[in-house]
Amino acid sequence: MGGEEPRVGVFVCHCGFNIAGVVDVARVAELAAELPSVVVAEHYPYMCSEPGQALIIERVREHKLNRVVVAACSPAMHEPTFRAVLQRAGLNPYLLEMANIREHCSWPHAHEPGKATEKAFKLVEMAVAKARLLEPLEPREVPIERAALVIGGGIAGITAALDLADAGVRTYLVERAPSIGGKMAMLDKTFPTLDCAACILTPKMVAVARHPNIELLAYSEVKEVRRTEGGFEVRVLKKARYVDEERCTGCGACMEKCPIKVPSEFDQGLGYRKAIYMPFPQAVPRVATIDPEHCLYLTKGKCRVCERFCPAGAIDFSQQDRELLLKVGAIVVATGMGLLDHRHLSEYAGLDSPNVITHLQLERLLSSSGPTGGRVLRPSDGREPRSVAIITCVGSRDERANRYCCRIGCGVAVKQAVLLRERLGPGAEIYVCFMDMRTYGRGLEEFYAKAREEGIKFIRGSPAEVEALPDGRLRLAVYDQSTGKLLEILADLVVLVVGLTPPSGLAELAAMLKVPVGPDGFLLEAHPKLRPAETPIRGIFIAGACQGPKDIVETTAHASAAAMKAASMLLKGYLTAEPFTAVVDEERCRGCGRCEEACEYGAISVVERDGRLIARVNEALCEGCGACAVRCPTGAVRVRGFKPEQILAQVAVAAR
Amino acid sequence: MSGLTDLMTMAKPNEELKRKLAPLLAKLPDACLQCARCTSGCTAFRLLELKPHEIVACARLGFLDELVSSKAIWDCALCLKCVERCPQGVAPAELILALRNEAAARELEVPEGLSTVLMSIMERGLAFAPRKAVARDGRAYGREDVGLPALEVGLSEAAMMALMELMGGA
Repeated sequence: MGGEEPRVGVFVCHCGFNIAGVVDVARVAELAAELPSVVVAEHYPYMCSEPGQALIIERVREHKLNRVVVAACSPAMHEPTFRAVLQRAGLNPYLLEMANIREHCSWPHAHEPGKATEKAFKLVEMAVAKARLLEPLEPREVPIERAALVIGGGIAGITAALDLADAGVRTYLVERAPSIGGKMAMLDKTFPTLDCAACILTPKMVAVARHPNIELLAYSEVKEVRRTEGGFEVRVLKKARYVDEERCTGCGACMEKCPIKVPSEFDQGLGYRKAIYMPFPQAVPRVATIDPEHCLYLTKGKCRVCERFCPAGAIDFSQQDRELLLKVGAIVVATGMGLLDHRHLSEYAGLDSPNVITHLQLERLLSSSGPTGGRVLRPSDGREPRSVAIITCVGSRDERANRYCCRIGCGVAVKQAVLLRERLGPGAEIYVCFMDMRTYGRGLEEFYAKAREEGIKFIRGSPAEVEALPDGRLRLAVYDQSTGKLLEILADLVVLVVGLTPPSGLAELAAMLKVPVGPDGFLLEAHPKLRPAETPIRGIFIAGACQGPKDIVETTAHASAAAMKAASMLLKGYLTAEPFTAVVDEERCRGCGRCEEACEYGAISVVERDGRLIARVNEALCEGCGACAVRCPTGAVRVRGFKPEQILAQVAVAAR
Repeated sequence: MSGLTDLMTMAKPNEELKRKLAPLLAKLPDACLQCARCTSGCTAFRLLELKPHEIVACARLGFLDELVSSKAIWDCALCLKCVERCPQGVAPAELILALRNEAAARELEVPEGLSTVLMSIMERGLAFAPRKAVARDGRAYGREDVGLPALEVGLSEAAMMALMELMGGA
């Protein structure tokens, strides 16, 4: 196209009323027609629609256009759409320039239509100035590593790993706890169907352990993630269990003999485990782990009782942490969620009673594998409570804690109330104090209706505080908006449905992966409606509650979506990469290395060639950010599609 | 002893009464969602500030004694709109009727107008004595003045028997 005169077509989109309701689109097109090199300028209600696309193709052919400017929404939305249009019209797809007159103009300036029209034209004029200088470019194909890493072994990670493995992808599943299973493994039954959580989860855990395409790395942590040509290089720390995983049969003899008792994390502090332990009987992998912080031998140098009693000879105190290097093409983040600490709220800060528990602690009391064998007992004295008050939205929808809804609390409260009725009998008093009852999922409203008819007292009001009485009972005063009464409830047990938070360490992991985080601290998806399981970082996907609180139904759907997205990318075998990478003019480069210092991706480095130093770009790693081009003192490094003359042409228009 | 107390009156729920009234109701007040559609459409709310949803809410928690002795239960016109409109099939009017029965059984004071109506029915088979209507011209017209047949006044013996039986032979 080199010497060819630029012939630019300008296409202004109304986007319904989104743009045309503010900007005088006809005027913009009229003015654009007068710009240098512009051969034709038109406007149309929906340029992205089939007739809009056909219009562009027709004009390209009719007027022999060799550059196209589309003034519409953000290129993040429709640049790929219009590039495809250029291709169909027989043009190189990179001869397109977009002017964003929606997000950058009509939306923010909705109250000033006159000025918005002026600005829209300015944006079009800038786009035309750059379009005149565009060059044809070719996207690159990069071979991809056909393996995936799933971070987190809860129901989200398990689902994603199994789906990926079933699709034929070699999958590594990294879990920081000694066993996979996550929060779901702690639950008794699930709402609204009252399916036993363990019965539906544990077979999946076993399937993970047995799947020929899955390598399970439990008790391991991701330490470093580096982008490579075909994906990522991930450094994983496999912590020492001090137990030989091959030899250990999970018989539990060591756990019986170990003299050290530690509050069980799995039982949420309501029960005890030993210093050598399996978090729960159905743990996967089914091997014991020695907790180095509490083991007598590892802290004080004596004991070794476990070693003496292990029939398999599996105890190995010489075991060291190991580092593994994984090469993968895709990463699925499935780190789940954490629980809000209600003691940060002023109404619970001073409350010190073992009989005030969280909803997850109640799950452990309800669970047959829990510390009480499924009997609901008051932690203070082991007696069965006759009166239980459940309080929802503790720290949720709260400007002092989580501004957002936990999305599962109403379902949890209704389910736990029903289970308490079942376990404690018809004579027990069960209260649910709520702000709103948002039982939105399938079958959940019906479940709530059933619960109301079981004599559970639902009270529309949130207590301002809970007072611990000397006899172990709790007193709470709550204003019931339905009766207009101030009520007092004396309860043997109070259950707080606490808010859900991002899991510990998520911010660090996000920084490592360069995945953005929302104002709520959860990972941000690429598009809230259309790309919910992807991140803006190519090759990194998100599954489950790490993207925001979700119930099990939503989590598995999200995880399967993430796995599908990852698999379809991996199984194609190659990546199509944008051609906007840095290029080095070897004549001008003097090998000073500033570009190498500036590059975040390790994509440019100084090498020796023919006896002199020169910068070399690894195109597979280059993200086209331009940091190197800015730092280059001689102007030797330039980014394709964003060359200085192309940008300066736009600046000249903007500054005029 | 229930762990629940109304802190304004120190009243406790009366679960026994709740069980007693249950067979009189097509659906228990427990099913109520507190949408307040009954009160939004209540004929008596506009005149007498009757709030059926509050009555249902109190009944749900077992605070029934205050309802039995309240004047509010006598404000209902039994138009049955609430029964038709309730999205949960709860019938506030039925509950109110059951509460009135309980009040009568406890021999609590019944509003005066109601006994006047009862007397009138026993006397002449009509809730109210026939009256002349005053027209725009200021004159009072009786049925005969506008060519209507005279009302048959009085209660047949069978009707009287049925009425007595309804009132529990009182």
